[in-house]
Amino acid sequence: MSLRLRYALFTALLVVPLLGVLALGFGQDPHAVPSMLEGHDAPPFVLKSLEGETFDLQKLHGKPVVLNFWATWCYPCKAEHAALQAAARHYSTAVQFLGVVYQDTPETAKDYLRAQTSVFANLVDPHARMAIDYGVAGVPESYFISPQGRIVYKHAGVLDTMLLQRILDPLVLQAETMRKSGAPL
Amino acid sequence: MTVSACVLLLGVLLRVPQAAINAPTASASPAAPTASAAHQEQTVYLLGKLLRCPVCQGMPVGESPSPMARDMMQLIREKVAAGESQDAIQAYFVQRYGEWVLLAPQAQGFNWLVYLLPPLALGLCGLWTVSYLGRPGRSDSAEAVAAADLQTGDAPGTQGLPDPYLEQIQRELRK
Repeated sequence: MSLRLRYALFTALLVVPLLGVLALGFGQDPHAVPSMLEGHDAPPFVLKSLEGETFDLQKLHGKPVVLNFWATWCYPCKAEHAALQAAARHYSTAVQFLGVVYQDTPETAKDYLRAQTSVFANLVDPHARMAIDYGVAGVPESYFISPQGRIVYKHAGVLDTMLLQRILDPLVLQAETMRKSGAPL
Repeated sequence: MTVSACVLLLGVLLRVPQAAINAPTASASPAAPTASAAHQEQTVYLLGKLLRCPVCQGMPVGESPSPMARDMMQLIREKVAAGESQDAIQAYFVQRYGEWVLLAPQAQGFNWLVYLLPPLALGLCGLWTVSYLGRPGRSDSAEAVAAADLQTGDAPGTQGLPDPYLEQIQRELRK
């Protein structure tokens, strides 16, 4: 083997794996936190809403649940507010929408919601216990829970109507089928 | 490659003090209440150094001033006080945030590459350097040049090179 060929081979052995690692790294969002709970049972919670009503996830089994973590200081959360409210009105009682106030005070959240139209309850999460339990790494983050109580999808970022429909329509259908067939939840 | 290898090697080396800190943790006696409290606080401190703050830029939860990190530290403290082991608490966070939440990847499976490749690459580079410098027929080695100069009678390091000063002297002598 000639000296030049040996140099080329040696350089390729060093450079190619390094380029591979760099390409892999640059192809990923460094801020993206992996979603570990998809396909697993949603962590249970019993929390009070801003209005003082108690919500127990166990009691919501049988219908799809949308958990939306948000805060008043989060501008993307405000951007998705209208889409979420529209979806909550559209699905009415077929889907349980719940907001979860994240790293914010109940008073500030109440003030914000007073100026907006909110058709679903918003939970108070003291010390972010529920957020940590769900692996929340920022807001807005939304979790879609199946009628059986399993997390089917986690969305980090702003939701839109199309996406909500694409995820919720099959879940609503699933809940209806289960109800008709009398399948255990 | 050398820079990235050094960075990774540094990461490996930084694990050593952590292991050294771990040792007394495991052997601490829970008999006395003060020793137990100190042991608990040390476990909280260690977990705070090991776990990444999810809302920060590569900061451990124990060092981050963010409210989320503070809440995570509070949860860790409660879990430790409730008697949960360090491994169980670590597993709780890994289950929710994935291995991403660990600032030092666990030495298992594919992760072994992170720990083995840098020293391997450094070793290979060292071997190559030694073999390159020790090659007898290396044309530009200092010894080879000096030997050639001695044979030809040239001034050291000037073998085969046109010397403008020498040429000028020769021209002057010819006059």
